[in-house]
Amino acid sequence: MPLEDIVTFQVLKAKLDYTNARQKVIAQNVANADTPNYVPSDLRTFSFEVAMKQAANTGLGGAVIAGPSRPVTMVRTNPGHMSAPKTAAGDWRADVKPDSEARLDGNQVVLEDEMAKMTETRLDQEAAITFYQQSLTLLRTAAKAPGK
Amino acid sequence: MPTSVPPNSSQALAIASSALHAQQTRMRVIAENIANADSTSQTPGGDPYRRQIPVFTPTQVTKGATGVKMNGIAADTAPFRQEFNPQHPAADSKGYVKMPNVEPLVEALDMKEAQRAYDANLNVIETQRAMASRTLDIIRK
Repeated sequence: MPLEDIVTFQVLKAKLDYTNARQKVIAQNVANADTPNYVPSDLRTFSFEVAMKQAANTGLGGAVIAGPSRPVTMVRTNPGHMSAPKTAAGDWRADVKPDSEARLDGNQVVLEDEMAKMTETRLDQEAAITFYQQSLTLLRTAAKAPGK
Repeated sequence: MPTSVPPNSSQALAIASSALHAQQTRMRVIAENIANADSTSQTPGGDPYRRQIPVFTPTQVTKGATGVKMNGIAADTAPFRQEFNPQHPAADSKGYVKMPNVEPLVEALDMKEAQRAYDANLNVIETQRAMASRTLDIIRK
């Protein structure tokens, strides 16, 4: 049974994909902090409830709140073949979301806001990884021979 | 399934390094401006050094990632200062020499801004590195 069949791991992987994608969007904003008329974008908030629901019913499509979009499964022609993991490598939707100020040249990136978002993403990722590690430890304990 | 889109982590690194490169090029332009703050023309009445302004444009660095590039240099259209100096080789018929339109204070502030942007992008790279290292910790333990 692949690890992705356990809902906890599916959801945590989705969360890790989300933090990765968000980090990329923040990197784009910071890189364009001096470009005229550039408006920063951001991903919508990750919702655990939506991700759990989607992990449980693998056929559902994208939701209004950010979650993994329609999962991709490989077609198996032989029952012995392995199938791809059930969650897609996130098509997270990035919305244009201006920061608190706008400057004369039309640029709306505020570096302090971007740094705060980056720290938040980092902490999110830390939490998800710690949770992932603990779940693996739990599995390992369960799989150990009794009495060891 | 698209196979040509690189993972988000390497995209973030590519974006941040494009910004680092752009800010370094900006520093070069600032250095040229400061170095030529007193460069007058060789001919009498001619135009001296004209201040340069870097032009940033968003550019696609990898598929699906928008970084930044310093696409060119625009000339600052501010008027030249006039200094009265009849003995100067570049003095015109009235004895005035045109001096470059470079203000050292403006250049110093530009330099501070370039440094701040550079630091912010270094921060992005460092955070990306820390996140990748933390992800590898899953198999380390």
